[in-house]
Amino acid sequence: MIYFIYIAICLGMVILQTSVMTYLPMFDRFYDLIALFVIYLGLFRPVRESVLLIVFVSVVMDTLSGGPFGLYLTTYGWIYVGVVWMGRFMRVGNWLLLPAVMAAGVVIQNMIFIVTVTMLIPDAQMPTKVLRSVTTQVLWAVVTGPLLLTLFSYAHQRWDQWKADLFGERNGLI
Amino acid sequence: MFSKRMMAIVGVIVLIAVSVIILSINSKRRYTSYGMGGVALTLVAPFQEIVTDVIRFSRDIWQHYFMLVTTSQENVHLRRELRQAREHKHRQDEIELSNARMRSLLGFRETTAQRLVAAEVIGKDPSPWFKTIVIDKGLQDGVAKGLPVVMPEGVVGLVTNAAHHYATVLLLIDQNSAIDALAQDTRARGIIEGEPAGHCRFKYVLRKYDIKIGEIAIASGLDGVFPKGFRIGYVSEVVKPNAGIFQEVTVTPYIDFEKLEEVFVVLDRPLRAPADKP
Repeated sequence: MIYFIYIAICLGMVILQTSVMTYLPMFDRFYDLIALFVIYLGLFRPVRESVLLIVFVSVVMDTLSGGPFGLYLTTYGWIYVGVVWMGRFMRVGNWLLLPAVMAAGVVIQNMIFIVTVTMLIPDAQMPTKVLRSVTTQVLWAVVTGPLLLTLFSYAHQRWDQWKADLFGERNGLI
Repeated sequence: MFSKRMMAIVGVIVLIAVSVIILSINSKRRYTSYGMGGVALTLVAPFQEIVTDVIRFSRDIWQHYFMLVTTSQENVHLRRELRQAREHKHRQDEIELSNARMRSLLGFRETTAQRLVAAEVIGKDPSPWFKTIVIDKGLQDGVAKGLPVVMPEGVVGLVTNAAHHYATVLLLIDQNSAIDALAQDTRARGIIEGEPAGHCRFKYVLRKYDIKIGEIAIASGLDGVFPKGFRIGYVSEVVKPNAGIFQEVTVTPYIDFEKLEEVFVVLDRPLRAPADKP
């Protein structure tokens, strides 16, 4: 059941990113929302629940994007590994550290993209527009990321609570 | 035998190696999705289509009913423009007729009679690093991988992936896009490639050509993909370095890719056009 909800959330984010945000100039340089969800999974959810979902959403993103197949798989994989590794040293959900985790995630993603573009086109020039875009993405991530992560975490807790109450009541009746 | 730390370091090195190998292989085999492209498009594109329709419907309501004052003023302006356009069209018709006669005399192949299918843009690339769009026409409508996508203003891009009802188009401004092109006046030939900043580079143009800013770049038709004569953009910068045999030419596309909503897919693959003699 939880996988269906995760998949629905991920597809919703993909559509939001590819079809809705393109009409809103304010979000022209917004960061990748799926990266945010990967960070959430890395910080708050167990590995066995996250890995399959990350592979699925990476494949969807890889097929929708013009980049080489496997780019999103690599990116999300490294973000997830990085976040899980960071989670070993920091207290999960610490408000002061969440902006840093978000910034790190966005930087990792853009670094992998820059390396890949350089690999594809050796004489590709990285204009200031691209660097400005990365900076704006990081700023968006630092400001909105912690709020969204907390929102996801809160919604998940409520969902768990609701499920526990429902099944508790049923067990009680039986 | 091995410490945990050692195992972790080895694991990270293996992961880096695997990532580099996967990306290197797939970079050389571009637009290969191992059969999953169609599945993902079929899964996501219908929702993209619904959302796009809802957004456009809401926007149209706003534009048609709440902005009538602006529309009225615009109407007067447009009527004036229409009169001028009609006059211009009349002149163009005359030129077209005379051109048709000349073509038949010279035995040139008709290059403009193409079968087109109109498509709506329903989604854009999730990454700002790559420039692709998703359109609402696919294999069922005759759209296939490798077909050119155009607009009356000029070249838009190339179909890179097609599902039953949807397709992905690589835009002209993507860094992996390349079109064999000609400068319209000087007939200088080169390759137009996309750049991340949204402009294009007109590469391999020999120094001997005196290309002027504002000159139009058109598809040469020699790549066997884009029909000859389709406009690509105009020359916005020319740099002639002290050394080297080529000049650096920047081309600005005619299409505003940020506002792209409808496109035409050319269903007929053009035959290779004869090369112009310099």
